[in-house]
Amino acid sequence: MVQYSPHLDTTFAALSDGTRRGILERLGRGSASISDLAESFGMTLTGIKKHVRVLEEARLVRTEKTGRVRTCSLGPLRLEDEQAWIAKYQQMLEDRFDRLDEFLRRSR
Amino acid sequence: MSAIVKDATRKAIVTKPGDREIRIERVFDAPRERVWQAFTDPKLVAQWWGRGHKLVIERLELEKGGHWRFVEHGPDGVHGFEGRFREVTPPTRLSMTFEWDGMPGYTVLETATFEEAGKDRTRVINISLFFTTEERDGMLASGMEEGLNESYAALDRLLATMG
Repeated sequence: MVQYSPHLDTTFAALSDGTRRGILERLGRGSASISDLAESFGMTLTGIKKHVRVLEEARLVRTEKTGRVRTCSLGPLRLEDEQAWIAKYQQMLEDRFDRLDEFLRRSR
Repeated sequence: MSAIVKDATRKAIVTKPGDREIRIERVFDAPRERVWQAFTDPKLVAQWWGRGHKLVIERLELEKGGHWRFVEHGPDGVHGFEGRFREVTPPTRLSMTFEWDGMPGYTVLETATFEEAGKDRTRVINISLFFTTEERDGMLASGMEEGLNESYAALDRLLATMG
């Protein structure tokens, strides 16, 4: 079975702050640098960096440094779980259709 | 009917056009009306949908917006599945949302199309569209944001009263 509850604790902790939710909503519209975010939220670079780090640890945000600019975008949260789920789902569908095939032959 | 045709009937064609979609195409050795019944009549659904396990059909409201809920009793436990019908067009198209109790919120949109494939044979094209991270991100970027903000505001108020 796919495990996801430890994720949820980290996720909820990360989401428990209004500024961090604002950052996610902002990044939902497109990537932004730390200084863009600081400006948008009227905060210091240090303040924004702290929030971004919490979001990054929860995998809600990913950051990439190019030269002196750190760019933030929405992160890969639960992507692995999703892939496992999709693979499991496909197997389930195929098993189900095998049964349907048997059933239709049996009940003709 | 030759053995070769039977094998071809049994074979499912599975493709993944994108990470978000599974397409299964399969020909069944039964007339289209019969296949439609197998998908929509609770007595018949119970005989195959559970993959050989006991299946309890708790709800099957066969109409647009109708609720369905099936509970499978497998060797690894009891699994509930449910969703709503999005389209019910007998005997050609059935579309519904799908959620497993074990992965709440991971909605899949299932669309099955039934085509006649020669005498007493039916091609079923089943497309499963997953609600994924990318889609979630897309929704954040769209009008959902306002709804989310409202939900968060409500959560804030709730947490404040609990504090």
